[in-house]
Amino acid sequence: MTAVKELSGARTVPEQTRARYPDATGYAERDGVRLFWERYGDGEPTLFLLPTWSIVHARFWKAQIPYLARHYRVLTFDGRGNGRSDRPAGAGAYTEREFAADALAVLDATATRRAVLVSLSCGALWATLLAADHPDRVTGSFYLCPAVGLAPPHPERAVHSFMEPLDTDDGWARYNQHYWLRDYRGFLEFFFGHCLTEPHSTKQHEDCVGWALGIAPGTLVDSQQGLLLCGLERFRESCARVRCPVLVVHGDEDAIRPHAQGAALAEATGGRLVTLAGSGHLPQARDPVRVNLLVREFVESLGGPAR
Amino acid sequence: MRAREPDAEGYVDRDGVKLHYEVFGDGEPTLLLMPTWTIVHARFWKAQVPYLARHHRVVTYDGPGNGRSDRPLDPAPYGCEAQGRLALAVLDATGAERAVPVSLSMASQWALWLMAHRPERVLGSVFIGPSLALGPGHTGRAEPFEEPYTSTEGWAKYNRYYWQDHYRDFLEFFFSQCFTEAHSTKPIEDAVGWGLETSAAVLLAENDAPWADEATLLDWCAASRCPVLVIHGTKDAISPLRRGKRLAKATGGALTVLEGAGHIPMARDPVKVNLLVREFAGSLAAGGRP
Repeated sequence: MTAVKELSGARTVPEQTRARYPDATGYAERDGVRLFWERYGDGEPTLFLLPTWSIVHARFWKAQIPYLARHYRVLTFDGRGNGRSDRPAGAGAYTEREFAADALAVLDATATRRAVLVSLSCGALWATLLAADHPDRVTGSFYLCPAVGLAPPHPERAVHSFMEPLDTDDGWARYNQHYWLRDYRGFLEFFFGHCLTEPHSTKQHEDCVGWALGIAPGTLVDSQQGLLLCGLERFRESCARVRCPVLVVHGDEDAIRPHAQGAALAEATGGRLVTLAGSGHLPQARDPVRVNLLVREFVESLGGPAR
Repeated sequence: MRAREPDAEGYVDRDGVKLHYEVFGDGEPTLLLMPTWTIVHARFWKAQVPYLARHHRVVTYDGPGNGRSDRPLDPAPYGCEAQGRLALAVLDATGAERAVPVSLSMASQWALWLMAHRPERVLGSVFIGPSLALGPGHTGRAEPFEEPYTSTEGWAKYNRYYWQDHYRDFLEFFFSQCFTEAHSTKPIEDAVGWGLETSAAVLLAENDAPWADEATLLDWCAASRCPVLVIHGTKDAISPLRRGKRLAKATGGALTVLEGAGHIPMARDPVKVNLLVREFAGSLAAGGRP
């Protein structure tokens, strides 16, 4: 493994040391877009830790990989737009269908017949599509703080337009493409501040900001516009087609996506809901032991023979 | 909530000062995790106790002035010899014939007193970020303590009147200097909380007890015979690394320098510190006992 990660533009930052290094790495390629994957461990079943919004790359699972890889085969990949995956241009390259197809390509490239999906936030969109469209490949779906439109957003997020220029930079007005291009760092500080509402999150905040510097602001705008293309009715229909066991874990202090969205997803997929009291939007980073044990418990509940 | 609860606890009463002690585990040798400046109490060892107690008998106690111990407003119990004798009283009360004192910061003086005056009770001694009069401290701390403060910035807060006027703000400043490492918000919050369990009046009484001077310290170092380990961070903003170096030299001890560490590495580098203490205690057990 090289210790230096190429970032967009001329920036390079040394990667931090890891508690666990992958046993295999490679690229899956789809329509000319290369997707960088990593495999850890070789137990059964395979856990597929999916990318989320491309503001971060696969290292956001860093507190899960070492533990889960002691028990299972763990697969991760950098979502298009960040990490060591390619950065296609245009909103159309960042729809949930593209991410789901990428995930399928990684399953194929790693000869993974079936996997348990683990997703965070926006990752719920492609996890659901994958489970609905490829039931033979998905034996269970574990959702963390799903960002799904099945319940209304936090009211303060519904005030400002993402697309239109605004006359303020206050609060959620920073969730605006013009602001991102003007003061990307300011947006990152704001956004991750709201992701990590727990006290003593300075390290996680610093990590996230560092990963977010791996995507160009313009590409992040594309990725956000791609997500906006996801239709709610189509998503509801996908949820209804999910047949595998589902567990949704959502913090009741999530300032990015309300707990009601997780609850609605559990209901729409016939899954179980676990509420994390006091948790924000990134419990995999702030409550890793709890999250890891929930993942393990969920995987064990799926039963051996069915894997 | 604690990761490890004590197996036994009690009080010792010496000259009318009641001290609370706790005992964890039962392996040999006994580690005596000493109190330090009474601005904190024994919970500052919280990241050491659970690990070390799996291998050793660990004794902690709140020094005079904080935790569950008395808060005398007379300077006498805070002096070096008095602190040394309080440590002895805790060893007696817990039936520890011999022990390995582990000291932080100014408690280095009390550990040295023990080593020099009760060598038969001390198997070996670990010093962490020792703060004592072996050579000059950091420059920039020369603000007069006894004069009414004319500034409220930085080390000007280290002042008799400022403590009484703005105790909490002083605590926040002081611990920000103790924890120079990034991402120390939790240890700072913990330490400020412990500081709030005592008062400016107690710290002022403690402050009136004299420190051991350099000649005395060197005598004590010369009189001590046990193995010594000094652990000191390169970014210690309270007591400079050069003091740790001098202490190691004067006691013939080993020095482990922690690159980038501040004054309280047991909170910010607990695994490293724990392994160093365990390795040191293990080396004593192997060679030093019948």
